[in-house]
Amino acid sequence: MITRLTRILTAWAVDHPRRTIALAVLLTLAFGSQLFRAKIDTDPENMLEADQPDRVFYNKVKSDFGIHDLIVLGLTDEGGIWRRAALEKLKEVTAEIAGVRGVIAADIVSLATTDNVKAKDGALDVRPPLARIPDTPAEIAALRREVASNPFFHEKVASADGTATAIYVPIERKDAAHRIGREIEGIARSRLLPGQRFHMAGLPVAEDTFGVEMFMQMGIAAPIAFMVILGLVYVLLRRVGFLVPVALDAMFSVIWAMGLLIGTGHTVHIMSSMIPVFLMPMAILDDMHVLSEFTDRYRASSDRRGTILAVMEDLYQPCFFTSITTAVGFASLALSRIPPVRVFGAFVAFGVMAAWLFSMTVVPACIMLTNEERLRAWASARRDKSSVLDRLLVPLGRGVFRRAPVVIFAFAVLLVAGALGVARIRVNDNPVKWFREGHRMRVADREMNRLFGGTYMAHLVIDGGAPEAIKQPALLRWIDGLQRALEADPIVGKTSSIADIVKRTNFVLRDERAEFNVIPDSAEAASQFLFLVQSSGDPNDLDNFMTQEADKANIWVQMKGGDNLQMAHVENLVAEFTRRSPPPAGSTIRWSGMTYINKVWQGLMVPGMLQAVLSSFVWVLLLMAIELRSITLGLLSMLPVSAAIVCAYGVIGWVGKDYDMPVAICAALALGQGIDFAIHFMERFRQGFRITGVAEEANRLYFAEPARASLRSAIVIVFGFLPMAGATLTPYVTVGLFFALLMTFSALTTLALLPALMKYAARWTLHMKTEEGNRRRTGH
Amino acid sequence: MNTRLAIILGLSLIATAAWAQSPTSSGATNAEVLLAKSHQTFYAAGADMKADVVMELITGDGKQRTRALTMLRLNAPGGSEQKYFLYFREPSDVRRMTFLVWKYPEKEDNRWIYIPAVDLVRRVAASDNRSSFAGSDFTYEDISGRDISADTHTLLREEKLGNNDCYVVQSTPKETLDYVRRIAWIDKTTYLPLKEEYYDLQNELARVFTADKIENVSSGDGSGVIPMVMKRTMLNVKSGHRTEVTFKSVSFNVGLTDDIFTERYLRQAPAKWIQ
Repeated sequence: MITRLTRILTAWAVDHPRRTIALAVLLTLAFGSQLFRAKIDTDPENMLEADQPDRVFYNKVKSDFGIHDLIVLGLTDEGGIWRRAALEKLKEVTAEIAGVRGVIAADIVSLATTDNVKAKDGALDVRPPLARIPDTPAEIAALRREVASNPFFHEKVASADGTATAIYVPIERKDAAHRIGREIEGIARSRLLPGQRFHMAGLPVAEDTFGVEMFMQMGIAAPIAFMVILGLVYVLLRRVGFLVPVALDAMFSVIWAMGLLIGTGHTVHIMSSMIPVFLMPMAILDDMHVLSEFTDRYRASSDRRGTILAVMEDLYQPCFFTSITTAVGFASLALSRIPPVRVFGAFVAFGVMAAWLFSMTVVPACIMLTNEERLRAWASARRDKSSVLDRLLVPLGRGVFRRAPVVIFAFAVLLVAGALGVARIRVNDNPVKWFREGHRMRVADREMNRLFGGTYMAHLVIDGGAPEAIKQPALLRWIDGLQRALEADPIVGKTSSIADIVKRTNFVLRDERAEFNVIPDSAEAASQFLFLVQSSGDPNDLDNFMTQEADKANIWVQMKGGDNLQMAHVENLVAEFTRRSPPPAGSTIRWSGMTYINKVWQGLMVPGMLQAVLSSFVWVLLLMAIELRSITLGLLSMLPVSAAIVCAYGVIGWVGKDYDMPVAICAALALGQGIDFAIHFMERFRQGFRITGVAEEANRLYFAEPARASLRSAIVIVFGFLPMAGATLTPYVTVGLFFALLMTFSALTTLALLPALMKYAARWTLHMKTEEGNRRRTGH
Repeated sequence: MNTRLAIILGLSLIATAAWAQSPTSSGATNAEVLLAKSHQTFYAAGADMKADVVMELITGDGKQRTRALTMLRLNAPGGSEQKYFLYFREPSDVRRMTFLVWKYPEKEDNRWIYIPAVDLVRRVAASDNRSSFAGSDFTYEDISGRDISADTHTLLREEKLGNNDCYVVQSTPKETLDYVRRIAWIDKTTYLPLKEEYYDLQNELARVFTADKIENVSSGDGSGVIPMVMKRTMLNVKSGHRTEVTFKSVSFNVGLTDDIFTERYLRQAPAKWIQ
């Protein structure tokens, strides 16, 4: 039925080429008009549904504890920060940052703004370390010692080695991060002394930078891929005129998919920004078959209309099935529990089907509009030229068929090796590593984590179960013990909590005598210490650590690494501690914070992708069984691409590359895409077998003309994805390289393994049918 | 005719400009004088004062906490120095905590605290008076007054605030603080501030003070009545957090003596004044 409908469509396009193209252009303009409304979204929280429990809890934690997004400015100084000139600069810079619109000035944490509570001359001294900048080196050294002895400053705002200081700048709204970041950068740049350098870190800055780079990738990687693809098409088909339909198809399908995505109110996320680069190589695959086979046949007939209709006749079915299987592969991502992945899958699927429509209409229409004389001249010039591809393909086809047992054995070995590799796969991700090594965000990340207690934040929320529960000595001591256990681990740089504040106050009130650096024995004492702290600093100093009702507390866990595995490790430390010494009855603990959220969505990604792959496997198998009218043939045709996927993921396992977001995405895509080679092979092999009844002959026929088209598509897709390897964001690089690898494997397995398998399988799958057909035919 | 008209017009313009300028040039001093007067009525009425104070700390989403204390204030005779004795009653876990403040207009205050749970008195040296008073939206300065000479004052205009005629005075701190200017509406008859707006470092409205209820309280010495702000609110515009302070049983000129405002009474509050 699809074939019949497509035939009508194509015939109309061939008869009305101008109108077909005009219509396509018009529709494309309509879709294109939506592109200008694009809204970028780089918030990693959006990797989770708005109502996902961990996300809901994180939002509650943020509002309960007044946690704002932080921009962290790190200042390093070759001459050390502990000298008068450097400290004066720091004070100036901090004051100026406080004046930037959108900065929550009262909550800035720095040497110049945050009160240091200490005992001095028998009094409790509460003032920022830099309230007065000391003159003499001895006084400065004393100040440095004071700061180092306060855990709220040490390795948080001042590095242990004395070369760096940090300013933590909370901002009111994340969407102003770009402007605020720029202004802070400007302040730092204009104020710094020679030998001083600055780093900017913090999630808002990372997100903002990521958004900008994403646009750049779309503006650079996509056009480069486009040029590479056109170049390849020219090399493979040797005709400039053929670039027009290919270019139109690639552009139109991208504009349709992105236009619809934006027009339906979706934001452009890291995932959806990859749609153009994904879609372009895939969009033109059907075109490659149409144009390649047209070229090959036109030489013989020199009848433009007749040739195109004859070529299309052979391609209606395989092109539809290759497109629909690809679309289904992508659409299977719609099962994912990660919204951006769903959007990505759905709209690539739409784009693939749009591209199929163009291949069936716009491409034949374009061919009808080419100058017939020049086409003829070009065709005769090309006649008799035996291509490199033929010299490669014909012996390959013969070889693998003759040495089928060897080929099958070799694949079995490869498959085992691949499976062993898969078993070694390490699931891990870290969004900061989405920036390339050497990127200023990576440098800032590394430097800041070297100098300070860690830039990766997680929150451990303790619910005491009742108001005032947190102030009880037993719970405070438990929190303190947990913190000490965590800080013993190298990944945990620093932890801070209400227990630290209570302890510190006790210590300072007793003239900093070591035996008082403990939690006091009564809840009353803790209450009064906290009241004192509130009465000498900002009213919201405690909010970050404890709710007003004192029923919940928040331990800030700063980690030096943000890998999912590192987060999981820290979770384990807590679980172990809790097992050894359970919290006082009635209290419960729960993780939150961005580093934890990242782990959560990665956790959803892995089973989600597996589910997507399995469901797309079922769908593709169903489609193949329908197309080939045989479950066995369907299964056989899926064997090569499945082997290719196992081997490609085996490589990931053996190489030791982390299984992260981009790697996960590729699996679902590879199946729908890789199956294309098998579809074309099976279609042609079956045709050949029906005519000749001999498997070897059917194989030879495939390796003549259709294999050439398949190999050409494979080359286009492999090289079409490679420009992404030059991107500055690693997800693009990974997808580009890994997808190219997957497609190479799929093409190779199909061209080598499938003929070998069919040598044996043809007899009992196709032969019977042929006989049955013959019988039916003779019966007529 | 035309020339003459032009001259008359020109002269009148100059005259107007000169007239318009005069209040501005002397405005600074005027403003300072009326601010000093306001300061005296608002922060230093009577020779001494005793009051019970209830503070409600209210979050943006309506969660409420209560602080209750007794406040004793004594003005130094003739000078602008003051002494405060603040005895907390609520919340119950901080009951008997006591703050003693010796306030000097032009230098750092002396403060002491008493922590009953560990029976400890400590002197507190805090760099600025801009820190929160007992976790509220008021600062120590908001409670006890800011040194007038630390700011530059300008009379902006005179206008009605509700039914009251007010002077509108802008005060700009001479050193860098957490705000860049304050605009106060000062009642022309009572000299009490009815409203104050604080603009933060980004020159955005950050805090708003309002005098919500004013009553006349007997001066206690037979000289008449003293207008007193019985209820006041400080709103943090950006966080939505606010503190409402209500003064109860206010009495002036009760005869407080200097010896009460010493470390000795921190541990054991003077029973005569604090029951």
